[in-house]
Amino acid sequence: MSLIQTENLAKVYGTGDTAVTALSQVNLKVDAGEFVAVMGPSGCGKSTLMHLLGGLDRPTQGRVMIDGHDLGDLPDQALTALRRRKIGFIFQFFNLIPVLNATENAALPLLLDGRPKAEAHRQAQAWLAKVGLGDRQHHRPDQLSGGQQQRVAIARALVAEPALVLCDEPTGNLDSRSSDEIAGVLRQAANEWGRAVVMVTHDPRIAAYADRIVFLKDGLVTDETVLDPQKSGNSALIETRMKAMA
Amino acid sequence: MSTYLTLALRYLNGRKLRTSLTTLAIVFGVLLIFGMNTVMPAFIGAFQANALAMAGQVDATITSKSGEAFPESVAETVAAVAGVRVVSGTLERGIGLPADFFDQDPATADRLTAVTLVGAVPDTIRSIASFNVLQGRFLEAGDGAVAVITESLADEAGLQLGDTLSLPTPIGLTDLTIVGLLPQRLLPGNEEVLVTLSEAQRLFNVPGQINVVDANFDTANEAARAQIEADIAAAVGGSFTIGVLQPGAEILTNIGTAQRIFTLLGALGLLMGGFIIFNTFRTIVAERRHDIGMLRAIGASRGTITGLILIEGLIQGVVGTAAGLVLGYGMGWLALAAVSQIGRQLLNIQVGAPVVTPGLVVLSVTVGVGVTLLAGLLPARAASRVTPLEALRPSIGALAWRRIAGLSFWAGVVLLAGAAAALVTGNAGLLALGSFLFIGGLILIAPALVNPIAGLFSRVLALAFARDGTAQLAEGNLSRQPTRAAVTSATTMIALAILVMAAGLITSLAITFTEMLENSLSSDYLLVPPTVAVWGVNTGASPTLAEDLRAVDGVDVVSSLRFAGTQINDVAVGLLGIEPQAYTQTSGLAFVEGDPETAFREIESGRGLIINGVLQASAGVKMGDDVTLLTPTGTVTYKVVGIASDYLNAKTTTGYLSQANIAADFGRAEDVFYQINLKPGADRAAVEAAFKQALQPYPQFKLVSGQEYVDQNRGIFDAAFAGIYAMVIFLAIPSLIAMINTLAIGVIERTREIGMLRAVGAARSQVQTVILAEALILAAIGTAFGLLTGLYLGYMATSAFAALGFPVTYAFPGQAMVVAVAVGLLFGAFAAIIPARQAARLDIIQALRYE
Amino acid sequence: MGGEQNWDIKPAQVYTTLGRLEEAGLVAEEPVEAPAGPDKRVYTITAPGRASLNEWLGTGVEREHSRDEFFIKLMLALLTGQPSPQRLIQTQRAALYRDLHAVTAQRNVADPKRELAKILLLDKAGMHLEADLRWLDMVEARLDEVRRQPLPEPEARPRGRPRKSAEMIGS
Repeated sequence: MSLIQTENLAKVYGTGDTAVTALSQVNLKVDAGEFVAVMGPSGCGKSTLMHLLGGLDRPTQGRVMIDGHDLGDLPDQALTALRRRKIGFIFQFFNLIPVLNATENAALPLLLDGRPKAEAHRQAQAWLAKVGLGDRQHHRPDQLSGGQQQRVAIARALVAEPALVLCDEPTGNLDSRSSDEIAGVLRQAANEWGRAVVMVTHDPRIAAYADRIVFLKDGLVTDETVLDPQKSGNSALIETRMKAMA
Repeated sequence: MSTYLTLALRYLNGRKLRTSLTTLAIVFGVLLIFGMNTVMPAFIGAFQANALAMAGQVDATITSKSGEAFPESVAETVAAVAGVRVVSGTLERGIGLPADFFDQDPATADRLTAVTLVGAVPDTIRSIASFNVLQGRFLEAGDGAVAVITESLADEAGLQLGDTLSLPTPIGLTDLTIVGLLPQRLLPGNEEVLVTLSEAQRLFNVPGQINVVDANFDTANEAARAQIEADIAAAVGGSFTIGVLQPGAEILTNIGTAQRIFTLLGALGLLMGGFIIFNTFRTIVAERRHDIGMLRAIGASRGTITGLILIEGLIQGVVGTAAGLVLGYGMGWLALAAVSQIGRQLLNIQVGAPVVTPGLVVLSVTVGVGVTLLAGLLPARAASRVTPLEALRPSIGALAWRRIAGLSFWAGVVLLAGAAAALVTGNAGLLALGSFLFIGGLILIAPALVNPIAGLFSRVLALAFARDGTAQLAEGNLSRQPTRAAVTSATTMIALAILVMAAGLITSLAITFTEMLENSLSSDYLLVPPTVAVWGVNTGASPTLAEDLRAVDGVDVVSSLRFAGTQINDVAVGLLGIEPQAYTQTSGLAFVEGDPETAFREIESGRGLIINGVLQASAGVKMGDDVTLLTPTGTVTYKVVGIASDYLNAKTTTGYLSQANIAADFGRAEDVFYQINLKPGADRAAVEAAFKQALQPYPQFKLVSGQEYVDQNRGIFDAAFAGIYAMVIFLAIPSLIAMINTLAIGVIERTREIGMLRAVGAARSQVQTVILAEALILAAIGTAFGLLTGLYLGYMATSAFAALGFPVTYAFPGQAMVVAVAVGLLFGAFAAIIPARQAARLDIIQALRYE
Repeated sequence: MGGEQNWDIKPAQVYTTLGRLEEAGLVAEEPVEAPAGPDKRVYTITAPGRASLNEWLGTGVEREHSRDEFFIKLMLALLTGQPSPQRLIQTQRAALYRDLHAVTAQRNVADPKRELAKILLLDKAGMHLEADLRWLDMVEARLDEVRRQPLPEPEARPRGRPRKSAEMIGS
């Protein structure tokens, strides 16, 4: 069984004539160590999918299974606890608490989980170092660049060692250079640190970092592409492409 | 927990100004409640200090409930009770000293304002308490004009053994030779001057009378002692009490009323503090919606979010309350320091430090912290309802406040109806409750009224200055969030309501009192004792003084007051003996019920009693009732023939009877206050010289001209006016903070919209106009409601005073209404300055990008 | 420097090209006594040759945009419905994404301190791929519209095949 699995997931907003189908019949599997990008035009339901995967919203139909837990079965308290321990969130607007420094922000999920402060801070600092902010541990968000803030957010998402990391347009507010760096860290989170990373983006360049791309249109999965880097002949293919363009 | 605390502290720290201003509101409320409640007990304590003197040294002290003297035989009755080992009957009277009596120096404050003259049988008093004579000798039977005093009194008066101590007494200034010195006095209370019982009876003109019986028992067994006390009580009868003398008991009722009024003011202050906290936390929740959503997304439970906001409230509550307690104590101390001068001169009491009881501290802390938490609870719950999706949603929308408009509207109507009903009953307690119902009701129905009122004012504004549609925009902004607008206006409302209420009350009181002042004190001259209105602690003069005064050439009428204490239905009452004929010529009573002529006739012809309104209210007595008055020896029944008051005694429970009756039933023939009219064309200078001559042996009286005294009292009123207005302005500051807060939320919520306005060509000044118009509309709503509420509260307060017996009728505070409107609108404009500048300064690009 | 593909060339090609350049008078062979070494010739650029080189360097490089293999496939798919245009787009998109993925991967392992030229070339590839992907999205979004319009008919050719000047290396 995959780490994340959805079965015939559907979400309808409103009822009767005003009903809008945001998502229908979505079957998705994501394994640990996999980096999946979700793409599609605006209004295709990609945000809704994220909300359902994160347990922020409840599906109209179907199920979301995360690490063997059916989110539909869980009451609000348990869902909150699950989010705390199993899921890391990365938002477009970083959403750091402005009055806390980098370490304190990154340590929040552990503190919310009732871990001792010293331990939480130690782990937060370890993760900040991993995402390349070892020298910015005591800076406040307003003293950090956008890219650095997003890295703090990534450290925060990873600090509780979640199985799943959900990113909603993580580079939507960043310049292309920072975007590349963030995408690189997310890729690392999947391939090196073994998390399942699901990312919504509309930027093909960022999506290309993923192992797999899921295309959504009008609430339906229209296509899935595996971008396997190990695939033989891939480099040859690149060469021909480059010759054609040069 | 420490995480929340850190977070809360950091957030509070991030907005220092707002945090401190918000906390100030709590500080203010606690300050008033705590401060005033420490001051009043200090006053009460001062009044009771004299009485404490003998208490605790003996097993039981028996006094008359009326506070008056009784026959010596009562001591024998007590002695006859089984278990009583020894008794001592004494005559003890406080002698209020005129200002600068010993030091003759007006510049330095007097340390001694009164002494207690104790007349005792030397042998019996030594059997009941020990007296360690340091120099000279103790009293001996048969001693005449000799006294034994403490060393400290001797030092104070600059006297030595063998010197003469002069004291004002009813029979004139009396010289006593000091024959013995006792150790320094350690207990609180007045210095004592010991004389023989017969000498005291001579000086006070009460032969054969004592007013205190001290007794020691022959057992230490608690049960047996209780039995002996019960036996004594049975033996002496119901007009006696086992306890200490209570001079000035009637003024304690008055102090209690003042205490309640200040507590009510403090409660209003706290109510407003609660509002401000509530409003601030709404701002906080709106501002931090993203943060909260994020916290929820990364696993904070609803409870955690609620806790987070409440901890912030708690910190503010605790800090505010602590500061309020400290400042309250400081204010109490300052108030007492300021008052002690007046207290010494006017009331002849020594006021000590503010009194802090554990109960008061607990109450203040509970109320201060409780209000903060309660005010934070609703926003905290709203915060906990912020979904994690808020963090992902880019735009800042309006916070979803649960709309219970229909329900709250009708609840408000019910509360208002309750308030109206309270007004009809006229019961003081219900009226006070009614004021809270009224405010609560207005707040509840306010959201429903915001739209029409905002519409109305925006049209006015549009006519006035905002022609380019900005007024409509401002109106729209308010109509979008009627609850928020209502809450903000409510703070203005309360501040102005207090202003209008205070003005209404003061105007009403002032008009009534000025009338009474003119009426009561219209005589040409007054002889004023050290303590006006607390007659019991004054040393009066025997009738010979009045005779001397009448004999002065040019004097037309001399009217005097004679005082006795009593109880009616367990309420301490001061009785004033008058001679109606003379009294009506020099002074007068303002009648509420009864016909003056009939009433004055009836108090002379039989046992008729005119009571004042305070007494009517507190003893529950009606016109025409038969009331039982406690006399030194038993009881006597009088008929209430009128309800009326004079200026001096309007605030204390007072009854008026004839001087013949007060002599017959209470054994009093001592005049404590005189009013004198001259014949037309009399030579004032000659008359005044003659008066001074006559008053030589009676330094306890001060001669003042009627007009001077009236002016003095007017001055007191003006000072009170100024003080109350200052307090109202102090109350208005938090309201200003609340308005700034709401307008600031408006700016935050509409950042994008403002950016758009600017982008499509609105000038900075136009954006400012929108915000200003919004503020003015808010202020106008608040002012309108405030005037309404203030009128109700003022009428309520006046009725409450009337219900308590003060002779007042409501006067419409027209001038104050104008001031209130001006203050309200000015504050509105002023409150808009910060947010308007903030809005105008917004960078267009930033604002449009604001997500 | 940069991609090997741009500089890799066979010896035979060199001589053929040099011969053609000499014929055109753009280069001239230097008279060199070459007793030693195998068959070595030295060419010098002539004045017309330098002028021609300068002209080449001074002219902007035109891009071929209207000829596109995928476009032809797409038109065929629209015409015949075999395979469905959607399917075609998806396949193409998958291929482009795989390319982009690989380019990104290569670019990220390149050392910017030593291989900046290579990175620049890879960026060029990446950006073209991104543009192609965006174009695909657009095509996909307007597929129904284009289906409803008449397809372009091949026109009769009264004159000879129109030629574009594209005599360049690696074209």
